[in-house]
Amino acid sequence: MIWETIRLALRSVRRNALRSFLTLLGIVIGVAAVIAMLTIGSGTTQKVKADISKLGSNLLVVRSGRFNGPRSSDTVARPLEEKDAEALSRQLSGARAIAPAAQKQVRAVFGTESLVTGVTGTESAFLEARDWTLASGRVFSESETRSGAGVCLIGETVRQQFFGAGDPVGEAIRVNQMSCQVIGLLEAKGYTGFGQDQDNVVLMPLHAFQRRIAGNRNVDNIYVAADEATPTSILLPRVEGILRDARRVPPDGENDFDIRDMTQIADTMASATATMTGMLGAVAGVSLLVGGIGIMNIMLVSVTERTREIGIRLAIGAHERHILIQFLVEATVLSLLGGIIGILLGLSLAGLAAVTMSIPFAPSPAVILLAVGFSALIGMVFGFFPALRGARLDPIEALRHE
Amino acid sequence: MSGAPLINFDKVWKTYGEGEARVNALAGVDLAIPRGQFVAIMGPSGSGKSTAMNIVGCLDTPTAGTYSFMGVDAGRLDRGRRATLRNLHIGFVFQGYNLLPRTTAVENVELPLIYRGVAHTERRQLAMQALAEVGLIGREHHTPAELSGGQQQRVAIARAIVSRPTLLVADEPTGNLDTARSHEIMDLLTRLNQDLGLTIVMVTHEPDIAAYAGRTVRFLDGHVASDARTAEAAL
Ligand SMILES: Nc1ncnc2c1ncn2[C@@H]1O[C@H](COP(=O)(O)OP(=O)(O)OP(=O)(O)O)[C@@H](O)[C@H]1O
Ligand SMILES: [Mg+2]
Repeated sequence: MIWETIRLALRSVRRNALRSFLTLLGIVIGVAAVIAMLTIGSGTTQKVKADISKLGSNLLVVRSGRFNGPRSSDTVARPLEEKDAEALSRQLSGARAIAPAAQKQVRAVFGTESLVTGVTGTESAFLEARDWTLASGRVFSESETRSGAGVCLIGETVRQQFFGAGDPVGEAIRVNQMSCQVIGLLEAKGYTGFGQDQDNVVLMPLHAFQRRIAGNRNVDNIYVAADEATPTSILLPRVEGILRDARRVPPDGENDFDIRDMTQIADTMASATATMTGMLGAVAGVSLLVGGIGIMNIMLVSVTERTREIGIRLAIGAHERHILIQFLVEATVLSLLGGIIGILLGLSLAGLAAVTMSIPFAPSPAVILLAVGFSALIGMVFGFFPALRGARLDPIEALRHE
Repeated sequence: MSGAPLINFDKVWKTYGEGEARVNALAGVDLAIPRGQFVAIMGPSGSGKSTAMNIVGCLDTPTAGTYSFMGVDAGRLDRGRRATLRNLHIGFVFQGYNLLPRTTAVENVELPLIYRGVAHTERRQLAMQALAEVGLIGREHHTPAELSGGQQQRVAIARAIVSRPTLLVADEPTGNLDTARSHEIMDLLTRLNQDLGLTIVMVTHEPDIAAYAGRTVRFLDGHVASDARTAEAAL
């Protein structure tokens, strides 16, 4: 009986193929939007989480000036200095690695090739703090760091631009007129969730950077990585205390530096993604509602068109429930069909987005099942009223209907 | 013929409309039809024949009076129970064939069985048998649009008898057919009445069609004007 009804429903959908398709568009678009969004959303979240952990887990980043609120115009933010990092190294407990760093975008040249790249002057502890590893070569030696020797570590993008697949270690590149010898190659890290190439980098000793590239003694950031046993929330006030001391901030004065907790940023970002997903979900919900009303409309038309058929069926032995089920199944089949097309479309869109945005393609079986269930539900809910109307028809009136 | 008649009208009234537009389609009909009879209903247009057929077939209920089917007061039954009565005991043949369009002959014939919950293979077999009984084998996969008027009416009859009903209600079954087709259909109905003991109530305007029935009831202005056995000799 139920198979019979489903077959009948499919036949009626096929008979009015174009009309059915147009009716389905609302459902198709709604479901496709939900599926695409949730799939892209979870891919992005995965990517962001991976990026944050690439930044270094349990990482505090100190920057000069105040991060929150406007800077007062009369006081120029006082830069960080190397001695601030040294004070931390001496006094801070619970840290795994501490590294001062200064950055600038400059042009690097090798032979006839050139590339604008992010140059960072820092110490070997920087790699530890950020959980970066070397693919080949070695890190800066103690004496290279102290003297600010002309040596550097390069990222994969820089290697590819200058050396192709070849071994860069031992070659000399020019960074902003300064010649430096490549002593190591960084492990490739790919793009961030925001499309930033993390492999287009050159690392050199801080002193070399300050003298030859920046032309000042400033430090832009100090990276502080917490050890296993120390949560960043505990480490942060300690860092703050030591830096206030080192920079002689008066007891009632505000910090002239800013400490960011990357773990916290990860959480913020994750919740921002969730909010975004929720908002887009609401939009998709509206389009599903519109789709449902479309189904209701077409089912009402269908019931009216087939009034005579309903009359015949009632006269030759159908009960109200048979008619009700017939139209309910038809509405459900219709909307389920829309749901399935929508799922396929949504997954294709998400797949496309995954490729172009280089995020993982993360379809969730639960979400897909939910979409199937939901579209069936829409058919039942919005098909119910028209079906009931058909079932309640007076057989004689229905038979007289032209 | 034992016990109560299969069909019994007791002062049945059917009124349509209100006030000025009030019409008494049936005005006190008394009529009893026992099992196994083949009855022709005649009368001028608007005399209430179709209204009476709808009540006979438990599609409609009287405004006043009592209509009993198999001894049950059908007018007091709710929609669901009347649907069950139709499902189990009544086959309809309508004036305009009323087959489902774009649905093959055999599928049309299967319909009543679907609503009786008969399984697929048995259903197909019974439908083919009914089509054979009306002489339509070889045409079972044609849709109504691909069949002649007489063939469509035979499909409609097959659909009405496939569930082996007690009563066949036919409202002008030959109304759209030429003389030769009409007589084919009437031969078929006569055979069903004699071989299966099927009770048939049939509306017709044509005396030579009515002559096939054993009894002719004439309606006039909503009541029974005459009721007579058809002389065998009339055939
Ligand atoms: N649904 C309805 N609403 C209002 N009046 C109706 C309705 N059905 C029938 N009538 C009226 O009841 C009367 C009897 O109608 P009915 O259809 O029973 O006549 P009939 O004998 O079958 O006529 P015909 O031979 O033309 O088919 C007519 O006057 C008709 O106009
Ligand atoms: Mg009539």
